Amino acid sequence: MSNNYFNTLPLREQLEQLAKCRFMHMNEFTDGVEALKGKKMVIIGCGAQGLNQGLNLRDSGLDVSYTLRQTAIDEKRQSYKNATDNGFTVGTYEELIPTADIVLNLTPDKQHTPVVTAVMPLMKQGACLSYSHGFNIVEEGMQIRDDLTVIMVAPKCPGSEVRAEYVRGFGVPTLIAVHEDNDPQGQGLALAKAYAVGTGGHKAGVLMSSFIAEVKSDLMGEQTILCGMLQTGSLLCFDKMIDKGMDAGYASKLIQFGWETITEALKYGGVTNMLDRLSNPAKIKAFDLSEELKVIMRPLYNKHQDDIINGTFSSTMMADWANDDVNLLGWRAETGETAFEKTPAGDMEISEQEYFDHGILMVAMVKAGVELAFETMTAAGIIADSAYYESLHETPLIANTIARKKLYEMNATISDTAEYGCYLYNHACLPLLGDFMKNIDTDVIGRGLSSDDNGVDNARLIEVNEALRSHPVEAIGATLRGHMADMKKIV
Amino acid sequence: MIQLRELSVEFDEGFQLKHINWQLEPQQHWLITGANGAGKSALAAVLAGYGEILAGSTSGLPAKCGWVSFEAQAELIQAELKKDDADITDVISLGTPVREIIFTDEIDPVMARELINKFELDYLLERAFRKLSTGESRKVMLIRALSCHAQLLILDEPFDGLDSATHTLLQNHLAQVVLHTPVIMVLNRFDEIPDFVSHIAYMENGELRHQVQREDTKAYAELYQLLHLKTTELQVPEADADSKTPALDPAAPLVKLHNICVKYPDMVLIKDLDWTIKPNQHWQLSGPNGSGKTALLSLITGDHPQCYTNDIFVFGFQRGNGESIWQIKQYIGYVSTALQWEYRVGTSLRNVVISGFYDSIGLYSKSTDRQKQIADQWLALLGMQNRADQPFNKLSYGDQRLVLIARAMVKHPPLLILDEPCLGLDDLNRQLVLALIEKICAAQETSVIYVNHHAQDRIAGISRYLTLKKSCDNS
Ligand SMILES: NC(=O)c1ccc[n+]([C@@H]2O[C@H](COP(=O)([O-])OP(=O)(O)OC[C@H]3O[C@@H](n4cnc5c(N)ncnc54)[C@H](OP(=O)(O)O)[C@@H]3O)[C@@H](O)[C@H]2O)c1
Repeated sequence: MSNNYFNTLPLREQLEQLAKCRFMHMNEFTDGVEALKGKKMVIIGCGAQGLNQGLNLRDSGLDVSYTLRQTAIDEKRQSYKNATDNGFTVGTYEELIPTADIVLNLTPDKQHTPVVTAVMPLMKQGACLSYSHGFNIVEEGMQIRDDLTVIMVAPKCPGSEVRAEYVRGFGVPTLIAVHEDNDPQGQGLALAKAYAVGTGGHKAGVLMSSFIAEVKSDLMGEQTILCGMLQTGSLLCFDKMIDKGMDAGYASKLIQFGWETITEALKYGGVTNMLDRLSNPAKIKAFDLSEELKVIMRPLYNKHQDDIINGTFSSTMMADWANDDVNLLGWRAETGETAFEKTPAGDMEISEQEYFDHGILMVAMVKAGVELAFETMTAAGIIADSAYYESLHETPLIANTIARKKLYEMNATISDTAEYGCYLYNHACLPLLGDFMKNIDTDVIGRGLSSDDNGVDNARLIEVNEALRSHPVEAIGATLRGHMADMKKIV
Repeated sequence: MIQLRELSVEFDEGFQLKHINWQLEPQQHWLITGANGAGKSALAAVLAGYGEILAGSTSGLPAKCGWVSFEAQAELIQAELKKDDADITDVISLGTPVREIIFTDEIDPVMARELINKFELDYLLERAFRKLSTGESRKVMLIRALSCHAQLLILDEPFDGLDSATHTLLQNHLAQVVLHTPVIMVLNRFDEIPDFVSHIAYMENGELRHQVQREDTKAYAELYQLLHLKTTELQVPEADADSKTPALDPAAPLVKLHNICVKYPDMVLIKDLDWTIKPNQHWQLSGPNGSGKTALLSLITGDHPQCYTNDIFVFGFQRGNGESIWQIKQYIGYVSTALQWEYRVGTSLRNVVISGFYDSIGLYSKSTDRQKQIADQWLALLGMQNRADQPFNKLSYGDQRLVLIARAMVKHPPLLILDEPCLGLDDLNRQLVLALIEKICAAQETSVIYVNHHAQDRIAGISRYLTLKKSCDNS
């Protein structure tokens, strides 16, 4: 049975690792992909990350091929087609792993232990093993051969974005780390940096972090604000509108595209800008609702963070892995049966502004979720930069997936780990917000404030604006968005 | 109501107007516009009864027209000179004085008097008409036309050669005239268009190409731009010395594709194709939908995954030897409908143009002042200088396409690829885009690949053709 690596460390080191995170300067990447030039990169798995990272790396002039498990090759599975249709060489572990200077493990996290166990003996002396998520090392305590270098290059976006942004001449924010127990030649950082350049990540900002900080913050973000809050919010808001007799097609559309529209404002100018899109009375309303939500949900966020830090979450999930994913599959089916999921969006026009005006509660939920996740992570010792990427930054990306095909698409796109955590959150959060929702009416979800609600107290408005602007996620957000040059302001 | 139906007319110089269908209602005031030689003045002259009708018919032409034009002016001066020649006595003719030229039978003397006062022309009345300056004789023409109780007033470039005081006087006077008399203006610049003009006719190659209502602001703006492109000398803004790409070997081809095969699991799209593009060659690539045009181009631009499995030499790089696609793209300007779809960003027109320096969709780097300057010059070229800060996604489809062509050209790439640049554009916008392409081809600095699925839809300046056939090779 696996051994949680984090839990084996003394508190001092745990804290030190959690707090590891530094925004890297552009001039740290002047060597480009040099450290990987002429080296053989072999990617295991050709799924969302595998394919898209590989396409980028090849287009950056690097030597990329794929190794897949024998069955995938024999059955010419999708992963095999992904690689061969794109003109890549594909081979078995035995054929390719021994030739590799760097092996990129881009299989699903739950497969990491068997996959790494299978390939490790085939790896060249002194080669490098790379991950895009540290779960296997941190939560399962995977032990890697001493001569191998172990690094992580984790794009903070779904694979499709990794490719799309590269093609546009940009990249996605990326977190890199070197597993200090496995850096025998001291070249881990150089390799990770070159890899980040090869995927285009350096253009959008790279955080130098640790395996531990990456795992503990990634898990927290994805299961609370990113997927959990959006799922719970979708279900509650939809049911409320139906309950109040609103047109189901409208309700469905308002939510499906609403998250994307309101979080687009988040992407450009943080929580402040998202709330600034509301009228003054609506802004105050959203602020008050979110304050209320934060009080109710804070214990839930704390619990998620605690379970993640102490390993309860991963061990629970791994038990489900061992049980053929019975829980995960059951919950997935359950989500597919919800009224929101089954009601197609109507074909009425909803203007961009209407999504804000009629979605005050959704705005409040996003604000509460982003701030709570950020506050909880930083309270657990995770650095603000990292907490920002794992909360606010990724929210619009996940919202895009809901706009495409609702919760189904979101859960299909995110990792199983995120999905599992999302359901845990949803199950706890739905009842938690029961009483709160009783007092909610269509003025804050579905119809918007009536003209009688127009009065605004100046002093209160000033207070609210002040509170919005002074939240710590806003300060770090402004800095990091600024770092991305003119980027998201322009995109 | 005046009607011209399928009218073809020939003029002395052999110039023809073809297939004119035009209807002018009494309350309308038209502007006829177009590039030089497009047939603007000829169309106006038809209304004044000139030209030999070859085919078609007219109805409702006015019995009495007030006509001011360079041609009418020349005619009058010619007549004056003839009088001189006809003079067989030794007495040197002084020529007809202006008074006689103005006060003929057809003229309302009261109105003429009033205008002479207005234009302060009293001092000219006794001078010989043929001795007048162009501006002076133009004023005389105007007075004649404005005081003859014309049923239709035709003013062909009436502001030419007028000082600004007279210009204003005339504008004010016309504002009164239009209340009772329909006016046709001929102008090749939109800037001078008076407020009363309600309709615009756009001429090209002797044909009446577009009729636009002034109120249709969108069509009006597009017409404005077309005219701008057609009538301004293209001064391609300079390249940016600081963002120069590494020089290419002038003796090497830009692109050399050898034995190209593009296969998909269910079909072979391109088979055994060779194509070499040398510097300064312009190519037209055509073929039906699905014949692989876009795939072929994306092998050149590095956007096709199978560029790693083919024998491709581009801009000094044999593909698949450790070069990055950005090293390739720096030599290429690219425009396609797909690019336009990708470019759904709210960034400003200026930034879209600047992004051409970085081959990016969106702008992710801080641009230099010089780059901004160059981008603004390109926008000026397109007649969009006033819109540099407007968001790109709020532009009309056709304007977006023009801006993307500027984006592609901003770095003076050795190769410009225009993949069906007119796709989805209406006729007016098509002409806008084609006008720009022709100018770029003429500039002879960039090789152009122009893709169109109609091989017959040719562009002046392109002399090489590659036509793909649809592969029926399903394997
Ligand atoms: N998705 C994201 O947003 C995201 C973001 C950052 C990082 N990551 C990380 O990236 C990694 C890959 O995630 P992903 O989302 O790209 O996964 P994915 O789309 O599910 O792809 C997994 C690939 O691995 C192969 N595979 C599955 N089981 C295997 C096994 N037992 N042995 C060998 N190959 C196997 C699959 O092919 P066959 O089944 O055909 O063999 C498939 O090609 C994970 O560590 C994840 O945490 C993901």
